[in-house]
Amino acid sequence: MTQLAPDLAARLETRWQKLGSVGARWSGTDRVAMIGEARAARRGDLPTGSLDEVTTRAVRAVAAHPASIRRQWVDSVVSDGLDHGSYVELVGVVARAVAIDTVFDSLGLEHLGLPEAATGTPTGEIDSRAGRVKAWVPMVGGASITQALSLVPAENAELEHLHGVLYLTFDEMADPRPDKALTRPQMELVAARTSAHNECFY
Amino acid sequence: MLAHTGLLSWSAKETDTAVDLRAVTDPSVDPLLPGGRALLGFVDHALTSPSVEAGRILEEELGPEALVMAATVIGNFQMMNRVADATGMPVGGGSRRRHAALIEDLGLDRYDHLEDTSP
Repeated sequence: MTQLAPDLAARLETRWQKLGSVGARWSGTDRVAMIGEARAARRGDLPTGSLDEVTTRAVRAVAAHPASIRRQWVDSVVSDGLDHGSYVELVGVVARAVAIDTVFDSLGLEHLGLPEAATGTPTGEIDSRAGRVKAWVPMVGGASITQALSLVPAENAELEHLHGVLYLTFDEMADPRPDKALTRPQMELVAARTSAHNECFY
Repeated sequence: MLAHTGLLSWSAKETDTAVDLRAVTDPSVDPLLPGGRALLGFVDHALTSPSVEAGRILEEELGPEALVMAATVIGNFQMMNRVADATGMPVGGGSRRRHAALIEDLGLDRYDHLEDTSP
C-alpha cells in the first residue's frame, strides 16, 4: 500500500485540522458538520440532518455537483439565509475537505477522521474592501482565482496554503521547471484532465 | 480546464516537451508525455472508481513519489474547480480570444457555464 511521506502527511494533517477552526461566520462545530455532509453527498447518501436546509443544500452542491452551480442558484442561497461571507467560507471549507479526501481516495488510503471542532464564537473577520466584481460573490481587487475567497481573508489564506502543499505555491506558478516529482507538463496534464472530469470550464 | 490546458501548452513549449493537447478531453489520444497514458488512467480511476491497479501502473512507470504527486495534484484541482464554479470565476474575453483555437479544437465551449458573470 502506498504511504505518504511523513512530511506530506504532517502538512496535510495540519491543514485538515484547520478546517475545524472557528471561522469568520461559522463555528468549529458547524464547519466539521459541513465536512460530514460533504462526505455524505459525495457518497450519494441522504442528508445527515446536522445542518439547516439552506446550508445543507449549499454544502451538497459544492461537494457533489459544482458544475451545476449558476449565478441564480448562488443568489437564491444568499436570499434564503446565507450572506455572502457565510457562503464563501462554506465554499472554502467544503472545497478543501474534498481536496484532502481525494488525495486519500486516490491512493487507496482511509480518510482522515473528522477534525476536532474548536470552541469559540465566529470571528466576524470579513474584508470590507471586497466589492462586486465579474463573478458571483464579492472579492478584493477584481475577479481572480487567487482572490476568489478574499471576502473571508482566513479562507483565502488557507486555500493558498493548501494549494502550495498539493501542487504549487502561487509564486511557483510561473515556473515551468519546478523541482517536483512530476514535470510541469505532467502536472498540467493531470490538472486539465481533472478539470475535464469536473466539467470546469475555467 | 481552459487555464490548465493553456498551462500545459505553455509548459511543454518552455521545456521542449512534445504533447498532444487533444488527450485532455479525448481518452483515445496519446498525450505523448512520459508516463502520460498512465497519468490519465490514474486520474480517470481516481475520479470515478479508485483503482489500486491504476496506481500500480503509474508507480511502475514514474515511481512512488510521482504517484503521490499525481494524487495531490488531482486533490488540488478538486478544490480549485469547486472554488471557480461556486464563485462564478469568469474566463475573461482576453483569455477566450487568446485560447480561441484551443477552445474550438478541444470543444471546450461545451463546458462553458460561466457566461453570466456581469457584476
